[in-house]
Amino acid sequence: MALTTAQTGLSRARRGVAPGGSGKPANRKSKLSSQTRKTFFWLLLPSVVLLVLIHGYPLVYAGVQATHDGSLLDTGEFVGLENFANVLSSEAFWKAARFTLLFTIVGVFGSWLLGLGLALLLRTKIPAGGLFKVLLLLPWVVPVVVSSTAWNWLVGTPDSLIPSIFRNLGLGTPLFLADPTLAAITVMVFKVWISFPFMMMMTSAALASVDTTVYEAASMDGASRWQQFSQLTLPLIARSTYISWILMTIFCVNDFPTIYLLTGGGPVDATTSLVVLAYRTVFQDFQTGPGVAIAFLMTITLVVVSVILYRQIRKSSVE
Amino acid sequence: MTIKSSVTSTAFSRRGFLGFAAAAASAPLLAACGGGSASQSGGGSGVIKFWDMPWATPAYNDAAKKIAEGYAPASGNLKASYQTIQWNNFYQTFSSAIASKTGPAVSTGGGFQAFQFAQQGQIAYADKVVDDLKKNGMYDDFLPGVLDPFKSDKGYVAVPWQLDMRVFWYRKSLFEKAGVALPTDWPTLLEAGKALKKVGAFGFTTGSGAGNNYGNHSMIMMMVNNGGGVFTKDGELDVMNDRNVEAIEFILELVSNGIVDPAAVSYTTDNMSAQWKDKKAGFGLFQVNVPQRVGDTSGDLLVADPITGPHGDKATIVFPNNIMMYTNTPSQASSEAFLVAYLGQLKELWRQKLMSALPVFKSITELPEFASDPNNVKIVNDWQPIAKTFASQGNTLNANLAVLDGGQALNQFTQTILTGKTDAKSALQTFQSGLQSVLKK
Repeated sequence: MALTTAQTGLSRARRGVAPGGSGKPANRKSKLSSQTRKTFFWLLLPSVVLLVLIHGYPLVYAGVQATHDGSLLDTGEFVGLENFANVLSSEAFWKAARFTLLFTIVGVFGSWLLGLGLALLLRTKIPAGGLFKVLLLLPWVVPVVVSSTAWNWLVGTPDSLIPSIFRNLGLGTPLFLADPTLAAITVMVFKVWISFPFMMMMTSAALASVDTTVYEAASMDGASRWQQFSQLTLPLIARSTYISWILMTIFCVNDFPTIYLLTGGGPVDATTSLVVLAYRTVFQDFQTGPGVAIAFLMTITLVVVSVILYRQIRKSSVE
Repeated sequence: MTIKSSVTSTAFSRRGFLGFAAAAASAPLLAACGGGSASQSGGGSGVIKFWDMPWATPAYNDAAKKIAEGYAPASGNLKASYQTIQWNNFYQTFSSAIASKTGPAVSTGGGFQAFQFAQQGQIAYADKVVDDLKKNGMYDDFLPGVLDPFKSDKGYVAVPWQLDMRVFWYRKSLFEKAGVALPTDWPTLLEAGKALKKVGAFGFTTGSGAGNNYGNHSMIMMMVNNGGGVFTKDGELDVMNDRNVEAIEFILELVSNGIVDPAAVSYTTDNMSAQWKDKKAGFGLFQVNVPQRVGDTSGDLLVADPITGPHGDKATIVFPNNIMMYTNTPSQASSEAFLVAYLGQLKELWRQKLMSALPVFKSITELPEFASDPNNVKIVNDWQPIAKTFASQGNTLNANLAVLDGGQALNQFTQTILTGKTDAKSALQTFQSGLQSVLKK
């Protein structure tokens, strides 16, 4: 009975219904006059034209390159979808796709979990909280070229700091960047380390917007701390969470410097993601068509994933 | 205020989101096909635009700029302007600028860049420059064999100005500590490596991590040192020849004996330099001026003698860096006059000790500022005469070498060898297949 009461209270709280409230959401839809709409249209038009030019031209040109057998200087001959077929049938592409998927999953959820935990911690009063927040932001603020150098210093050689610690603890001397499996793990940990401050900030902002009275209501209804977290906090920040997942997915899939600066995609392609593969195909093998075809396939995949997650956001809003 | 209103944002619309997502998701496309960062107008600006790379410290570029902008042309010819182009995405920068007719009239650049752009019809051949060099005596001043690789069916694609040599270096104190003689051939290299290992050092120092091509160069060098190479004398792909197989089997033997650092596969050039400085590297292939590069000028780091392969071959590899001219110039005669004059002033760069490469002119190797370093003298006397290009077993450079040098096939091959988890023939077969798929016929 107490559980039912708590569930009902949590459900009402999630819907924003204060104790005794009716539960009907306010009608927030605005009605714009025709004149206002026209004004908006003309105000937006220059930006839209600029965006179309900035994004449209490269997209169209990339489409041309992906369907031609040329170089950066010369478009070459039209080959239809041959570049796509070749890319999709290559082992290197699928190896890079698998790594990209794993890198993205670990990057998104690893950084989210760490960011969420720290955001919750920062809600409580801790000594030197302000300084703590600033320090936590450093991995996001420091340029990747600097942090990758620092990480290389930490793990790059058997005599680097972290392998030395392992050795002194009698755990052997792990070759963090030379062993393919360890290199993949290291790159993913590096990505999580770089990204968690972003997730922490997104989550902190979402948590700050949650009305604390819902917790009081839930407590009065007998909800435990875990129930409050899992059935109040998480649903109430779900919208922000989905947005941060979408953004981080895009950041991870498109991430070039994190991987390239630390491992260059090696050893033996163990950390080659699709964007690294595309770069190397275009600028090291000078195969423009196949390289751009890889980039096209990435873009299509990202748009599809983004739309799916966006629908999830809409769904969570309706609920 | 209701909770719903506190977490709902009217600014978050479907269209807005899709627009944002599409823009963000298209980043790889933009990155893949985006233009370079050419910042000046084309050759029609009334000056000869000279683009140069950061070949050494910023002091080098300052000195080169002084030479270029101090050039006083003869009547009727144009003056020159100087621009430093960063190595980062340099090929894209040049390509975009050339495509938009905003590129240089004369430039340094990647070792095989001239051949790539010649293939696209963008290079002005340097035959008249070579003729002028013959007239003013500089032609005879070239070190042996440095100009020949640039001669194609259509003429001289570019003119060399410095040699990026690969030579063996050693740390004297480590050899003394190990009580072993310097290697003179492959068996003694193996023996020395085993002795160095006992004193905690590596006898075949190399690296193949992010941005480090020394591992690649070590592979090709050992093939060439055995009379092999990636191409035949006629320029046909020939990865699977017996000499190459033998060379790679030997390197795998070095790897399996722990003579190659097991972490070398991930070493950047900075990691490699640190290994040399920290006395972990006893012997290995590196560039000119290693003591200055790694910060140990105590005299303990020295150039070794070339070693002899099992069939009596003795060779190393060299990258003859060059200056090229482009068809997009306000005046071809002015481009040629500037290039001849610039080559005549190169000695200043070595006189000021700004270069980490060999000069191409004998007269510069005789400058006291250069010849006072015994390592330099040894490289000129012992290594330069046996140096061959990436085109080996052939001689003439070509555009395909740009794909070989720094391309995915060679890099993957090198890393596979350095991990030691392969056999020579399988690795070479994969290397050959990878090259075949990207080389232009």
